[in-house]
Amino acid sequence: MKGIEFFRNVSIGQYVDSKSYVHSLRPSTKYLWLLCLMVPGIGASSYLGAALPLLLALVAGAAARIRPSFLLRGVKPILPLMVFIAVLQFLFSWPGDDSGVLFALGPFAATAREARLVALAVIRTVSLMTIVGLFTATTSEGESMHGVEDVLRPLGRLGLKPQRLALAVGVALRFVPIIAGELEDIAKAQASRGADFGSGKGGPIAKAKAYLPLFVPVTVRALERAEAMAEAMEARGYSEEGRTRLASYPKRRGETFVRIAALLACAAIFAIDRFVQGL
Amino acid sequence: MEGKRTVRKIVVAGALGALSIALMLTPLGMIPWFAGASLTTVHVPVIVGAVIEGPAVGLCVGAIFGVSALVRAATAPQGPIDLFFVNPLISVLPRLLVGLAAWLAYRAFRGKLEPAAAATAGVAGSLANSFFVLGALVLFGAIPPATAATVFLANGLVEAAMAAVLTLGVVSAWKGVESRAGKAKLAREE
Repeated sequence: MKGIEFFRNVSIGQYVDSKSYVHSLRPSTKYLWLLCLMVPGIGASSYLGAALPLLLALVAGAAARIRPSFLLRGVKPILPLMVFIAVLQFLFSWPGDDSGVLFALGPFAATAREARLVALAVIRTVSLMTIVGLFTATTSEGESMHGVEDVLRPLGRLGLKPQRLALAVGVALRFVPIIAGELEDIAKAQASRGADFGSGKGGPIAKAKAYLPLFVPVTVRALERAEAMAEAMEARGYSEEGRTRLASYPKRRGETFVRIAALLACAAIFAIDRFVQGL
Repeated sequence: MEGKRTVRKIVVAGALGALSIALMLTPLGMIPWFAGASLTTVHVPVIVGAVIEGPAVGLCVGAIFGVSALVRAATAPQGPIDLFFVNPLISVLPRLLVGLAAWLAYRAFRGKLEPAAAATAGVAGSLANSFFVLGALVLFGAIPPATAATVFLANGLVEAAMAAVLTLGVVSAWKGVESRAGKAKLAREE
């Protein structure tokens, strides 16, 4: 059984500490930019429309003093995966695909439509990777948690409580290292008793049963931990009314302008996307 | 009373969200299957949350799971499919539906046959995961429909069976804990 040592410090995304203007913007402004770049990044149907958010993210990254090579570092390892996707598209054909055949090899053919899908997927992926990378590089975990609350506040009128989701996210981020450690402990304990995860024979049900001694204790312990935490919170008088925050996010100079710019950028990318149809 | 349940639900959602992130980050979330393919158990915490605490917790765990899958795909991609998981319509939206499907299936059988209800919830949640993720992948042109159908049949059905076993195991263990003496007398007097 391989890989029993797991990451001691698990984290998702990489925050780059800096004092730049971009870093100091309010979390809600960063969420707005994230949204305004991601929506066109996904929705654009032209090459240019999918690439523009990437360009803007790199410009914003420069303003945040984050090197483009840092934001694009994820691209190199995925190149072989992109080739794999291209091969997959080549081997299987889409029903009703009557676009021109670019080249054929025996029963398989690469059509113009498939080539376009692959190219668009590549641009889109690089764009979205860079945008999300920029967001996690400039927004700490705490900020993104508070940002969720601020962004979803309008939903409060519908009776939904965004601070609940924000709290759940905060709890999750706190619990990840603890639960990863617990997974490791229980996996080791069961392995020392001769448990065999994965390499054993048998059908899926048998395999799932082999996983029960790991999965059930980990889940039950996570639930017990949650229960203890809920009790501790209640004992300390946790209530949703009138909560204040330790961290405050004062409005920066020009913040309103930055927000309007996000919306304008989104609209502009879609306009350009329509204008250059197919390019 | 109402407030008590709420805090508990929030924290349980957080803990199960953390569990699915931990499963995603370690190799234990993947169970090796033949020919290098592996079966995922990462979505099982979503189903468990929906079964033991209701649809809101299922949605919440699903959202945490989906967003962290998206961030991981963007910052440290592992496989070819991660390329497309940077799109929230593929990585997040289907995961919201997992909890909902699991809860609906559980509600249909709840009370009458508790074990059957939990297992059905596992199957429904897992099938919803495979179906909507693969469906979204096809919609966005990531994989041709024929591939998606093959994966659904080869992987999705097996994953559903596994999710049923794991959900049943966790839910019966947890409900057993709740009803037995382990739970303090005070808790019953609420």
